Amino acid sequence: MNKNFIILGGGQAAVYAAREIRKNDKESNIKILSEENFLPYERPPLSKDFLLNKKNQEDLFFHSSDVLKNENIDFENISINKVDFENKKLFTKNDDFYSYDSLLISTGSENKKLSLDNNLNDDIYYLRNLEEAKTIKEKVSNKNKITIIGGGFIGLEIASSLSQLQKKVTVIEIGSQLMGRIIPKQIADLVQKTHIQYGNEIILNKQINKIIKKNGIYEILLNDNSLIETDFLIAGIGSAPSVKLFEHTNLKLDNGIVTNEFCETSIKDVYAAGDVSNFYHPLYERTIRLESYQHAQNHGICAGKNIAGVKTEYTSIPWMWSDQFNLNLQLTGICDDYDEIIERGNDINNGVIYFFLKNKNIRGACGLGIAGKVGRDIRITSKLTEKNIIVDKQILADQNQKLNKLIQK
Amino acid sequence: MSEENWIEVGSTDSIEEEDLIRFDHQDKTFCVYRLTDGFYATDGICTHEAVHLEDGLVMDDEIECPMHQGIFNIKSGEALSPPACEDLKTYPVKVDNDKIFIKID
Repeated sequence: MNKNFIILGGGQAAVYAAREIRKNDKESNIKILSEENFLPYERPPLSKDFLLNKKNQEDLFFHSSDVLKNENIDFENISINKVDFENKKLFTKNDDFYSYDSLLISTGSENKKLSLDNNLNDDIYYLRNLEEAKTIKEKVSNKNKITIIGGGFIGLEIASSLSQLQKKVTVIEIGSQLMGRIIPKQIADLVQKTHIQYGNEIILNKQINKIIKKNGIYEILLNDNSLIETDFLIAGIGSAPSVKLFEHTNLKLDNGIVTNEFCETSIKDVYAAGDVSNFYHPLYERTIRLESYQHAQNHGICAGKNIAGVKTEYTSIPWMWSDQFNLNLQLTGICDDYDEIIERGNDINNGVIYFFLKNKNIRGACGLGIAGKVGRDIRITSKLTEKNIIVDKQILADQNQKLNKLIQK
Repeated sequence: MSEENWIEVGSTDSIEEEDLIRFDHQDKTFCVYRLTDGFYATDGICTHEAVHLEDGLVMDDEIECPMHQGIFNIKSGEALSPPACEDLKTYPVKVDNDKIFIKID
């Protein structure tokens, strides 16, 4: 008898899982249930080329509806509001239900919201999905002074795009550096310098005490009593895994849905992949939760294999990028667990990379350069990390020595 | 198909094995690769976003874009991994007296 595979959530992990299941199982029923009324789309351009009008909505979809139709994958725009793991059923608010044999949860993550005066909740915009990106694009078109609360990846990418649209941008960050959660200070400082060169104002170490709305203009009062006037407010202060639906169930949660290296959750026949999953990584021997393009795709594929009965361990080395102005920032592995740092290069025109080593092994690296200048070395670093290859530190530090020889047989 | 279409890129020893060089001709950029079984050529700019593939990584028969890790097959130009979805144009290559030529249409 054909099995019913249901994928809850309609993003990148979902669609790659669905196609991978189909690759390995031609018969079973595969259904994606998505709260968004769009086929799975690429999120990275939302804060960049989509805001800049270099890409349109139709450029963002991973696959056309024909591709899904041809592979007999159903995509349904529906909201689920109850899960009964015991009886393997998902319920809508009208009590209609879907039965599954195996379930993949790929509900992603959601914006953390700023807790200020409740009256201003509708005045603060966030950017995670296509609808939000469309709204921001439309609303900023007749605004000049934009303030972005939060100096992380998303805030800085929006700051870069809006600056290119000739807006006067201010970024307020509570921490002592930009992108402080994952990016080393050396790289963050170089990014900050570039934003300032392009005319953006970066305010660090400041908290917002109050925002007052006066005649359509906002006054932001900071904790040092300074005042910023702005026409429009955008917040990017991090995200949280979308797990509300599972909070009162037996599903084990800890910074997302806890999964093992096979994307399996604490409940049999229930899998999780992408942003929502806090997964065990065998190489790092710890759990990691990632919010990135490459991870969503690879984790989805891995989950798809396991659901289809092809037991596959997830060993992908984390990788992510951010594009701001003409710079491309890349990070691989983990850069917060090291006993030694090695610097390669000192000029962003040729690329600057910091390697993070522990017991002589590379654990991660973070690089910044004019578009394209750090990618090859960062990619090679992922491979060196994966293979646990110990590399002569002098080679790492010398930009004149190519790293690709190190991974060749 | 006249001889004039073949443009000299450089000598064969200017490219190491499993590596590439960038070649600019008129207003276009190309990448010329040396794989284990010979020389190949493609457009030099990624089809996903305008970045030079000369800084990308050559592995087996594939070139990986240095910006977002889109992957193309060097021999066929086929886009193999997102975010690349549009194929890369390829060009015929010949070697004559240790010199590499590519045929640009």
